[in-house]
Formats: sequence, C-alpha cells, structure tokens
Amino acid sequence: MALLEIDELTRRFGGIIAVDRVSMRVEAGEVRAVIGPNGAGKSTLFNLITGVVKASDGRVRFDGTTLTGQTPYSISQHGISRTFQITALFPEMTARENARLAAQARHARRWQPYGGSTVFGDAGRRGDVALERLGLTHVAHRPAGLLSHGDQRLLEVAMALAQQPRLLLLDEPTQGLSVEETAQAVDTLAALLADKAMTVLLVEHDMEVVFRLAHMITVLHRGAVIADGVPDAVRADIEVQRAYLGGLA
Amino acid sequence: MNFSRGLAAAACVLALAPAALPPYAMTLLTEALILGLFAMSLDLMVGYTRLLSFGHAAAYGLGAYACGNLLLHTGMPLLFAVPLAALFSGIVAIGVAWVCTLASGVSFSMLTLAFAQLFYAVAFKWSAVTGASDGLAGIPRSPGPFGITVFAGKAGFYYLVLACLIGSLLFCRVLVHSPFGEVLRGIRENEAKTLSLGYNTRRYKIAVVAIAFAFGGLAGALYAPFAGFANTELLFWLFSGQVLIMVIVGGAGTLIGPIIGAAFFMLVSNLLSSWTDSWAAFFGLIFIGFVLFAPQGIWGLLSGIGRAKGRERVRWRFLKSMS
Repeated sequence: MALLEIDELTRRFGGIIAVDRVSMRVEAGEVRAVIGPNGAGKSTLFNLITGVVKASDGRVRFDGTTLTGQTPYSISQHGISRTFQITALFPEMTARENARLAAQARHARRWQPYGGSTVFGDAGRRGDVALERLGLTHVAHRPAGLLSHGDQRLLEVAMALAQQPRLLLLDEPTQGLSVEETAQAVDTLAALLADKAMTVLLVEHDMEVVFRLAHMITVLHRGAVIADGVPDAVRADIEVQRAYLGGLA
Repeated sequence: MNFSRGLAAAACVLALAPAALPPYAMTLLTEALILGLFAMSLDLMVGYTRLLSFGHAAAYGLGAYACGNLLLHTGMPLLFAVPLAALFSGIVAIGVAWVCTLASGVSFSMLTLAFAQLFYAVAFKWSAVTGASDGLAGIPRSPGPFGITVFAGKAGFYYLVLACLIGSLLFCRVLVHSPFGEVLRGIRENEAKTLSLGYNTRRYKIAVVAIAFAFGGLAGALYAPFAGFANTELLFWLFSGQVLIMVIVGGAGTLIGPIIGAAFFMLVSNLLSSWTDSWAAFFGLIFIGFVLFAPQGIWGLLSGIGRAKGRERVRWRFLKSMS
C-alpha cells in the first residue's frame, strides 16, 4: 500500500476547476515531483492535502488514514510537514527559535504553560540538527527576517525537517533563488534525500531541479493529471512537450 | 537575575508606601495598581498574541459585578470572593473567546467590542443582579476566614492589591516564557505557519483570552470592594479603549510596561484634570505622540531594548495587527 493515496481529488472555485479528479500514489521513500505550467493546480493540490483548502470531491489517505475533512493541524500531527511557496517564517525569532518551535509541535508537552527546560531542550536539539543538515548553523542566532532569501528558503526546509516528518511537502523550494543559490540549494536537498529515509512530494518549476531530485514525476495541466511516470518517460512524453516544456513557453 | 532584583526593589518601595504617603495618594496608588493589573492582563492578548481586544472592559466588569454580588449577598469573605470572581470572568471568557476566535484580525476586535457592549446592555437592564443604572453600592470588604480583618483597612487592602499584582505578574511571566508562551509568540508572528506546524492555534487563543479575562476579572474583583461600588461604566467601551492606551503607552509585550502605563495614565489624567476639563484631549495627544515616536512605549524607552530596531519591530507589529 502506498504511503499517500489520492483518489479523484477535485476542487472547484466557483466555475473554475482548479484540481480535476486527480489520482496519485506516493510510495514510502519516494521523491515525487508535481510539475505543470502556472495555474495547473499544483499549489491547490498541496493545500488540499494539508487541509488548508477543503476538497469539493475525492479523498486523500495517508498510511491508511483518511485526511480529507481534517484540520491543517491534525493533518500535520500525522507526520506531514510542508513548506510554502511564499516563505512563511517567524521573522522576529532567530533561525534557531524557528526550528525549535517547529520541533516543539511534535513534543508531547508542547502546550506546557510553565517551565519548559525539558521541552525547549529536546526541541532545541532536534532543531539544531536540522539547521546543521541544511548548513544554517552559522546563522542560527540571527532573526529569520534578516536572513538572505536563499537562507530563508532553506530555513523553511529545516523547520519541516526538525519535525522529522514521514511525508515532506516542498512547494517550490528554489523559488526566487539566483542561479548559484539554486545550485547550492539543490546540492543540499539532494544530499538530504539521498538516504531515501523520507517520502517527499515536490512542486517545482525548474526542470533541472526536478530531474535532479525526483524519482517519479506527475504532470498536471489545467488541474488534471496528463502524465505520470519515471523522469525519462515523462521527458519523452509528447503531451508534456506540448503542454509544458515547449508549447506554452 | 536582573528581573527578580528589580521586582524585589520595586516591591520593597511599594510596600513602604503606606508609611510615607498621605491617604489621598494611597487611594490613587491603590487604584493605579488595580488598573496596572488590568492593563497587564490585556497585554497577554495584545502584546504577546497580537489579539487586539476592543472589549477588555468586559473582563473587569464581570469580575467587579461578580465580586460585588458575592460580597453583598453571600457574606463570603473578601479573600474568597475575589479569586472566585476572577475565576468566573475567566470561565465566561471561554465562551466569549470561542465565538470571537471564529474571526481574526479586525473582525476579532469588533467581536470583542460587541461582546463588551452586550454585557454593558445586559448590566443596564438586569437590575436584580447589577442594580441597572444605579449600579451596586455599599460593597463591603467582608472579613474572614478565621476573623481576618486586616484587609478591610486602607493599608491592608493596599497590600492585598499589591500581592495580587505581584503574584499575577510572576504567573504571567512564567506563562509567556513557557512552551505555551512560545506558541503564542508563533501565533503573533505568523498564525498560518503556526497552524501548519501542527498547533491548534484556535485552542491556544481561547486559552490566552480566558487567562487574560481571569486576571482582568481579578482586577475588577479588587476594584469593587476598593471603591465600594460597581456600575455600568466598568463595562463601557470607553474603558476598553483606555486600557488599550495604557498597554500601548506603557509598552506592549513586556508585562511590566502596561503596569507603568496604567500608573502614568492615572498620574497624568489626575494632573491634567486639575488644570482643564478637556484632559482627555491632551492625553489623546500624548497617545498619538507615543504611537508615532515611541511605539515601544515607556518601558521600551526606559529599558532601551534595541532602540531603533525595537522601534521598527513594534511599529511593524502594530501596523500588521491593524491590517
């Protein structure tokens, strides 16, 4: 059984169908990229999985549990962490505090209204490990709002990692990065995903990035799946050529 | 530690006040401490969670009316009536917050205002419990248990207020530095992200409103036997606005700042009102001056935490909270 199963998922906004009967399987340990032109429904798909947007129809199951209809926080508590297309951080907190608050969300006593040396200690250690894996230790003490855009993107990934997720959703991790920054970020992500310990769903515009990181690719166009397979097969797919790689450029 | 040393020094000075100050000044000081406790309770919402309440008078009024009724009709000792009234305010707040947190931003603020005005309207009509426009008069400082009468006197009551204030300050300080407080900070800076990390943000907001109302209710519960009366003005929107001004002028997000802001408000309004009837207009100018030039408030200026940076930060926070 696949870790993430999406069946006939549909979302209508008024008369517009943003996501149109999308079905998809993500196996444990797999890195799957969702690609498609602007407005293809990639971000809406993420918002449907994480419960930010309610499905009009269809169903999302994670490890046998139905997620559809659950709230964003309870979906997150199943072990699903995400990053946002537009960087979402706590700008006045340091990078370390950002990562710590992310890890704290998985602590049994995260709400404890007194003391906290145990909770902060445990969460802080997890957060620091995540920062180190993304090469952010040297900026850990700086307020997140003052980091470079590239470091902010990586910090969001670090926050997701600090939660030790079973499923990681990355929404355009290289969005807005320069060519050099993208290359660096992709190296970091590739090293991170190399041990196949994590299942990842990745939305990305940059095809170089997709072909470097993903084991499987799903192509969305106007809300519907038009191709699905290993990167080489998708690359060859004529329909994709038309819809995405060449046709709409 | 700096904080505990400062607090101990302030507590010593305040403890000596009854020996040094004339009765009229003692009355003003007692009221200033009660208002300080009230403003501090609002700071949990405004400064720490960015929940802008325009109806915090509801907490004060609930506490005052509850305590007034207990003291007038049950013969319960002051020492029991006051915490019980605070608890009552906190419990009512769970329902209020449950509704208000259905909205966020300006809509949340409007709902808090609506609830306060609702309580105000009820207080005006429900004469059996609130005395309607006459209010409750002759609220006693009932003695006991074990025949303790010390709190009935001017100095004794002052010490009770001082103890409540210091105890509440310590409680709130522990709260805001706890894991719970860290989540509030997350909500303040980016609620959507906090939710996405797996925190049930609405439950945290309801909890902090209930705690803020309990301490605001404690302030109101102290006010009723202090003044000997409770009337509908304690629930009026004007009072909600004044306490918000105390928080911002004193320094939001610092706990101590709002206490100083309340004392400053008392002092300046007393000085100004002996000069002119339109003292409120002058205080309005002072408020505008603070918002524009010192949004970190009196305490922010005094402690000089990261001057220019702190200024930008707090101003940004309030601009964001208004949008």
